[in-house]
Amino acid sequence: MSTPAIFAAVTGFDPLTGGEFLVAQNIAFAIMAITMLVSAVRMVTTGNVVHAALYLVIVLAGAAGIFILLGAEFVGVTQVLVYIGAIVVLFLFGIMLTKGSFGADDGVGGERRGIAAMVGALVLAVMAAALLDTFRDAELSRAEPSLTADVADLIFSRYIVPFEAISVLLLAALIGAIVVARGD
Amino acid sequence: MILAADPLLVDGIDLTVVLIVLLKAGVAFALLLVAVMLVIWFERKLISDMQNRIGPALAGPWGILQTLADGIKLFFKEDLLPTRADRVVFRLAPYLSIIPAFVAFAIVPVGGDFSDGGDGTVSMFGRSTFLQVADPPVGVLFFLALSAVAVYGVMLAGWSSGSKYPLLGSVRASAQMISYEAALGLAIATVFLSSGSLSTHDIVVGQSATTWNVLATGIVPFGIFLIAGTAELNRPPFDLVEAEQELVGGFHTEYSSIRFALFFLSEFMNMITMSAIAVTLFLGGPAGPIVTQRVAWVWPLFWFFLKVMAFLFTFVWLRATLPRFRYDQLMDLGWKVLIPAALGWFLLIATLDVAADLGWPTIPVVIVGVLVLWGGASLLSGAVRKAQAERLEEADRGADETAGSASGLGEA
Amino acid sequence: MLGQYLPIVFLIVLAFLFAALSFFASRLLAPRSPNDKKEAPYECGIIPGREAPERFPVRFFLVAMIFIVFDIEIIFFYPWAIAHGEMGLFGLIAVLVFSLAVFESFVYLIGNGALEWGPIRREAQTGDVVSATRTTSTTVSRAGIRQVGLEGRTGGDS
Repeated sequence: MSTPAIFAAVTGFDPLTGGEFLVAQNIAFAIMAITMLVSAVRMVTTGNVVHAALYLVIVLAGAAGIFILLGAEFVGVTQVLVYIGAIVVLFLFGIMLTKGSFGADDGVGGERRGIAAMVGALVLAVMAAALLDTFRDAELSRAEPSLTADVADLIFSRYIVPFEAISVLLLAALIGAIVVARGD
Repeated sequence: MILAADPLLVDGIDLTVVLIVLLKAGVAFALLLVAVMLVIWFERKLISDMQNRIGPALAGPWGILQTLADGIKLFFKEDLLPTRADRVVFRLAPYLSIIPAFVAFAIVPVGGDFSDGGDGTVSMFGRSTFLQVADPPVGVLFFLALSAVAVYGVMLAGWSSGSKYPLLGSVRASAQMISYEAALGLAIATVFLSSGSLSTHDIVVGQSATTWNVLATGIVPFGIFLIAGTAELNRPPFDLVEAEQELVGGFHTEYSSIRFALFFLSEFMNMITMSAIAVTLFLGGPAGPIVTQRVAWVWPLFWFFLKVMAFLFTFVWLRATLPRFRYDQLMDLGWKVLIPAALGWFLLIATLDVAADLGWPTIPVVIVGVLVLWGGASLLSGAVRKAQAERLEEADRGADETAGSASGLGEA
Repeated sequence: MLGQYLPIVFLIVLAFLFAALSFFASRLLAPRSPNDKKEAPYECGIIPGREAPERFPVRFFLVAMIFIVFDIEIIFFYPWAIAHGEMGLFGLIAVLVFSLAVFESFVYLIGNGALEWGPIRREAQTGDVVSATRTTSTTVSRAGIRQVGLEGRTGGDS
């Protein structure tokens, strides 16, 4: 009784509704969040582009883990498949494409740190505002994890227009790819 | 709709549950290690038989302990770290290879009675559970995600070595793996159409209720899965990653000692897992006739083992039979044949399914579907021909210009 | 529900321990005497003549890019495949429109030669270069090579 109470006091979650399980969840969340923060900082401070990409992978994996913790398993796995499995691989190919160099410090960073910090702060502000606006008073359900079929229901009802718009976006991406190919 | 969840872990977790889970994970871990040793021996023995030689014969009866001997030997070998290697990433890469290889097997149901509407639960220390390490609701996607992570092991091993053959090998390997991952994913999507669930356990249950997916999805996805799976494993005839004649050992050229052993182990472990996943998705998993009631629980394990062995045999057979692809042939096969075929087949099966639900007549739908697919295929082959013709033209023009400038120089 | 991931966490820990302990054991057991020659990049025993390529062909980048597109398409297929029974005709049409857009751009991409890797393929030369009557034996004797491969074979037709 006392350990969950202390833990709840530390983390600020009430243990009555979730029981022990929520404690484990909070510990897992804390580990992931700290790992993500450290990796994010390392990502922007490291001098080696490939290392930066790898730190990005850790951050994305942490995000996937948090999705799974929240019960959004399909989204979590999608995060791994698309971001880690495809987009960062594209980054790494891009790095190897422009510069197949090994190991050594690439001398990244430095001159444009100010602008980067400004962009970062701006993104943070926009996202924080959006998040606060959406979830100000929302009570998130703890019990019900979202099923993949529910995701399908949402995509093909409320989000049908964005879904079809994505196909146009992908078309644009492929045309961009052709431009890259032609420029070769 | 069946909700995927191991009954063991649905309500509260107490000490017994944790111990059962630990036991299952431990057994799976040990089983994989033993299996991988035997599979390496099996492959060497079988391929030497096919090549008319004896193969490993000295360590233990029929050389069955050869892999163990090799493994122990590798512990005593010097572990080299190339000067130009990226030290951290070089050390990290084997982990990224071996951990997904171990974990991917967790979602495979290896036993349990699925006959006569059985849901495959077994009783273990008074608790009912599935004979698989874990059954996450997104099961098969979990496997795909792990194979996406495994790309990193290969890619980073090659990049961090600071040497050209590994680098070339790893870039080739990762491009190959992601190309065939798309085909693999589309083939699996067709399975989801007929099973209606992502969980491996539900897929097996669904197959025991109706017919095996290999027939339910119309064989084509099964073939695509096998080809793409072989390519995903970097096995012959798609083993360009370690084409000895041009790339020495491929991405792990610079690895020695136990680091190399881990890459080697994970390659064969992935082969076992891919076979097991193919069995689960298409061949009904552990389903099969229960011949004797006395030791009924053994039969599902036996059928599962038999099916996996058939796949392992096929992999070795392919290696012994087929010459290696050229890189452009590999990419052409993946992008211009397998992916469009898998996409078209997925849409065709889906349309047939929905049409059947709506009560439309089957024959006209099939005819229209096949015509549309044929149109798409001819469009695609037209595009391929156009690209080739353009390239030929460009090359000729380039050759003319070079010839022209050369003769111009000659006159001057 | 999250309990389903407990065994996976265990298995990850086990695999990690296995790898880490293997490295540790190898460090204890293996000899250690590095020298410059051992640690040089591998080049079949000679001194490396050429550096690794500085840049890779743009096609690898393209493959990764097209893969992203297909990956996203497949990701959208999965939930629909699970629930396509309930979605009915509406869902099918939505997916068909989506696939059509992607497929059409894929065809355009291929038509522009984005996935042309191999050697340039010329029209197969036919006619007098290779006659229809050509067999192994005629080719070998025409080239004037001693018929090494066929000698000593039982039942050989040389």
